[in-house]
Amino acid sequence: MSKLTEIRWHGRGGQGAVTSAEVMGLSAIEEGKFAQAFPSFGPERRGAPVLAFNRISDSEHIRMRSAVTQPDIVVVLDPGLLGIIDVTRGLKEGGVLIINSSKSLLDIKSEFEGPWTLAVVDATAIAMEVLKIPIVNTAMLGAMVKVTGVVKLESLAEPLGERFGKLAEKNIAACRRAYDEVSIAAQGAVSQRPEKTFGEVTWPSWQELLPGGVVTDAGNARSYRTGDWRSDRPIWDHDRCIKCGVCMLFCPEGCVEQNEQGYFEANYYYCKGCGICARECWTQAITMVEEAKA
Amino acid sequence: MKRVGLESSLAIAEAVRLAGVDVVSAYPITPQTHIIERIAQMVADGDLNASYIPVESEHSAMSGCLGAAAMGVRTFTATAGQGLELMHEVLPVASAMRLPVVMAICNRALSSPLSIWGDHSDIMAARDSGWVQMFAENGQQAFDLTLCAFRIAEDVEVLLPTAINIDGFHLSHVIESVLIPEQGEVDKFLPELPRPYVLDPRKPLTMGDFATPELYIEAKKSQDVALRNSKKVILQAWQEFEGVFGRRYSPVETYRADGASVLLLTMGSFSEVAMEAIDRLRESGEKVGLIRLRLWRPFPFEEFRQVASQADLLVVLDRAVSFGGPGPVCSEVQAALYPLSKKPQVAGFIGGLGGRDITTEGFEDMIRNARKKADAGRLGEVEIIGVRE
Repeated sequence: MSKLTEIRWHGRGGQGAVTSAEVMGLSAIEEGKFAQAFPSFGPERRGAPVLAFNRISDSEHIRMRSAVTQPDIVVVLDPGLLGIIDVTRGLKEGGVLIINSSKSLLDIKSEFEGPWTLAVVDATAIAMEVLKIPIVNTAMLGAMVKVTGVVKLESLAEPLGERFGKLAEKNIAACRRAYDEVSIAAQGAVSQRPEKTFGEVTWPSWQELLPGGVVTDAGNARSYRTGDWRSDRPIWDHDRCIKCGVCMLFCPEGCVEQNEQGYFEANYYYCKGCGICARECWTQAITMVEEAKA
Repeated sequence: MKRVGLESSLAIAEAVRLAGVDVVSAYPITPQTHIIERIAQMVADGDLNASYIPVESEHSAMSGCLGAAAMGVRTFTATAGQGLELMHEVLPVASAMRLPVVMAICNRALSSPLSIWGDHSDIMAARDSGWVQMFAENGQQAFDLTLCAFRIAEDVEVLLPTAINIDGFHLSHVIESVLIPEQGEVDKFLPELPRPYVLDPRKPLTMGDFATPELYIEAKKSQDVALRNSKKVILQAWQEFEGVFGRRYSPVETYRADGASVLLLTMGSFSEVAMEAIDRLRESGEKVGLIRLRLWRPFPFEEFRQVASQADLLVVLDRAVSFGGPGPVCSEVQAALYPLSKKPQVAGFIGGLGGRDITTEGFEDMIRNARKKADAGRLGEVEIIGVRE
């Protein structure tokens, strides 16, 4: 059997993780390899954590169709996910972990060093400079190709051209910038894996389901932390705030509340970071700040 | 209890009235029309205190029943043929949501060619919808099983929609004598049962939720187990029915099957015709008997195996075609027999499609034909009988 490379992309709905996987798969096929690209199928919600996958084989049709649970390569498009999702879960020894972050390689190493090659690139900064929007998928592709060499940088050009049309040139530029700027740390000790704990979701057994799957705890959506979907958070500047409450009126989530001093603040358990409050604020008292930097 | 001459359709309407149904949501279609016309009349005349919803299609008829059943009230509808097909999308929703809707199906052939006449194509296409499904052979059974359907469907251990199948025209439009009980007797058999989960603004809950791959299969397992387990309650309900009314029903019923080396298997009103054929053959000394499959879902594996395994040859009549496959009943009984070490050979026939009669002679021929095929070792393929060549 020929070597199989399995890749897992972590992003948020709307950030282009699925596109990354598609372009990666098409590039590999372009090189004459066999490849798969697929999303984790599910309800689509902008901002919600999503997964996309690749399998790449040099010489064989790939029959495996289940989700990638023991990846060789993990790519994290959104630094905000690092605190809420175990991105290193199942990552093989000798694998590669590539993170989009404005933090230095040293800082990232202190958190994510393990028996794998660790790489960091400030893809958001590159995307903002080159594309003027914080969509980092093409930059992350460049970083990924540099660190792993699963395909050649040139092979990305045609699929990127097809996918982005008029915007292809800028996306290829973002891709190249990240290729040049990514910082890489050598593999850590095998015994060393990041010690992080994440809330495990538990599901009921079939015996525990009520007839017809009836849900009796009314209003349980209240416990759903939609704040996990947020990549930017609104911050209020009290010097500019006139306490008019427009932010509260426009918040589609109903999660902006007035505090005892009369100022408004978002309940970050629910705030999805949509930015409507910041856009509607008459006095520009609200700025959206990248979650990882807040 | 009094004996009256009544069309089977009207006997079902009478059962619905005596059951004190709260909501009827229905759309007329031949040959079911008499049932719901009569119910509409009862509601209009004040003989039945129910809401009658005259919907615009069968899809809406079943949707209306779902909503009403979710509120916890007794709910009934009836349909046939294409009507059941149009209703199809909602059928598995009713069972998955565990809503005890009761429905009479006047079994009718499916188009095309357009046929208003009877066969079992409609219910066989709805076989896997998760409903409790039973078959009546005469007007009395149509009445009795309708009453039983409410008792079964609404049992807290079941909570599943239940269908009573009566053959279109052959049963639906036949007037014969039927024993109709007094209201008091029906009330004794059919008390109002508590419903654990109903829509109530004071106690809000969610029904018919969304499930990701992490949950869906557990939901289906729970539903399948519920349908399988419903047999216990069905047996209990039929026992209670016998206690009150003196008539006994079983998932698998037989006729002169003791010591029979050849067994014929039928469902629905043709079973009584087949009994005539069995009598004639018995009189001429042949060891033949009849299996009448009363309960189609949940399939009564144990009871069926117990009865069928002793014979040498099982002759199965299907009144529906599974195009390119065996007859639906035949494939079911073959699957049920397969694990047994001692089992009969199976001869599958398809007949009585689109209202075509099968006479006693027809059944006699079928049994002779099956014997010949068995002797010649030619039982492999299903045969459509009574076809002009």
